[in-house]
Amino acid sequence: MTALRTIAVGFDGSPDADTAARWAFELAVQVDAEVILVHAVGLIEHTKRQSVVAVLEDSVRTLIDEGGIEPPRVRLHVADGDACSVLLRATDAPINADLLVVGSRGQGAHAGMLLGSTSLELAEHSTIPLVIVPATRDPE
Amino acid sequence: MLFLNGPTDDSGHEEPGHPERPDRITAVKAGVDDLHLGSDLVIVPQYSATRAQLSRVHEGTYLDQLGVFCYEGGGDIDEDTYATYDSWSIAQYAAGGGLAVIDALRRYNDGVGFIAARPPGHHALRDRAMGFCLLNNVAVAAASLTSEGERVLIVDWDVHHGNGTQAIFWNDPNVLYVSTHEWPLFPGSGIAQEVGGTNALGLTVNLPLPPGATGDIVRRALDEVAAPVIDAFEPTWVLVSAGFDAHRADPMADLALSSGDFAALARTVAGFAPGPGRLALFLEGGYDLGALRSSVAATLSTLLGSSYQPKSATTGGPGGDMVNRMRDERLVALRQAQEVASSEEPSR
Ligand SMILES: [Zn+2]
Repeated sequence: MTALRTIAVGFDGSPDADTAARWAFELAVQVDAEVILVHAVGLIEHTKRQSVVAVLEDSVRTLIDEGGIEPPRVRLHVADGDACSVLLRATDAPINADLLVVGSRGQGAHAGMLLGSTSLELAEHSTIPLVIVPATRDPE
Repeated sequence: MLFLNGPTDDSGHEEPGHPERPDRITAVKAGVDDLHLGSDLVIVPQYSATRAQLSRVHEGTYLDQLGVFCYEGGGDIDEDTYATYDSWSIAQYAAGGGLAVIDALRRYNDGVGFIAARPPGHHALRDRAMGFCLLNNVAVAAASLTSEGERVLIVDWDVHHGNGTQAIFWNDPNVLYVSTHEWPLFPGSGIAQEVGGTNALGLTVNLPLPPGATGDIVRRALDEVAAPVIDAFEPTWVLVSAGFDAHRADPMADLALSSGDFAALARTVAGFAPGPGRLALFLEGGYDLGALRSSVAATLSTLLGSSYQPKSATTGGPGGDMVNRMRDERLVALRQAQEVASSEEPSR
């Protein structure tokens, strides 16, 4: 098995994506890896790209502050495309990811709805290992 | 003569605030009315594509999933794409439009076809809806033609790359797919190095253009990179994925075309058709209603020789240097793919 250097996380700013990012941060600290939060800009989002990126950058800062990971180890990568293709391309330059991480819902994984199930699509087509991080449950 | 097909009622496929909306068809129809075609306009009645016709380009399990999803009330399929209870039947009419129009063109052996239907189709994959698209309308028509032995050229001038159409015909030697599109932009595919599968090497021609590119660059890319491939392919039919979102007023993208550029594009594409009655256009994108109306009028007036006066064609945008690069990158990728293909051939 090759060393885990770069972890790509499907990242749309949803609570599930945040959970996936936190999980990836913990792993990155343990194995000394870098985390790239990958955001795909869809058709409609393209029309408000700047404000979307600004909001994502804010949530990345918050996650880093909470997550106990050194800021230089985390980067946000924004690319036009559908979530699935953009994440599948994370194995190529410039990201060169060794591991894909997605939340169980939200961008990168519409679990529960077969039609838009990017996680199924990723599981089928990814050439690198894929982790689907389950959503955190509300405390009972 | 214009053979026009469109929905009698597509109001059921709508989501509040979504740019892919029924008003688009109203704008397109206004663009057709602006031409005052009189008896030169033939309305082709709605036709709902059958499961067998859809199955040429879509997986049966996907058709079932989509049908059931709509039947249960629909909802959001992804960030961009929605379906409602009515979407399944409206999408079947959109996918059948091309079949009905091709039938009419064959009977008259003359004229031009225009399928002004929605939802659009060129992003829809064999097994997946995306990018506002549920069923791949142009692909359903192309696959029907190739099943009868025709050789089909698809020119996709929508501002977005038609990833669905490209993927469906990736390995099909009877379909040549040519796309001009802004890049980088959704769906992210469509670089010049994507040239087709082993059985269809060179039959995918991608012409990616930078933001701000004007009509002259789009035409140069078509003339200098695609035209020689098209001539060699000798299509017997030409289908156009006619999106109008490359217009400078369109909110979804950043190319800088005017209605006059669509007139010029239409002239170029008509030149690829082998004869009369072998050209059909399919509405894809186009989200600024005024631009949609004027661009449709400009396109059709060129094809039908009416006196409508569109805005001037545009020149001077960025991307001129990219045309040569596109051709070179494409040729290198094609040579590499051919070498790989020949090395994989059995030596016996
Ligand atoms: Zn488009």
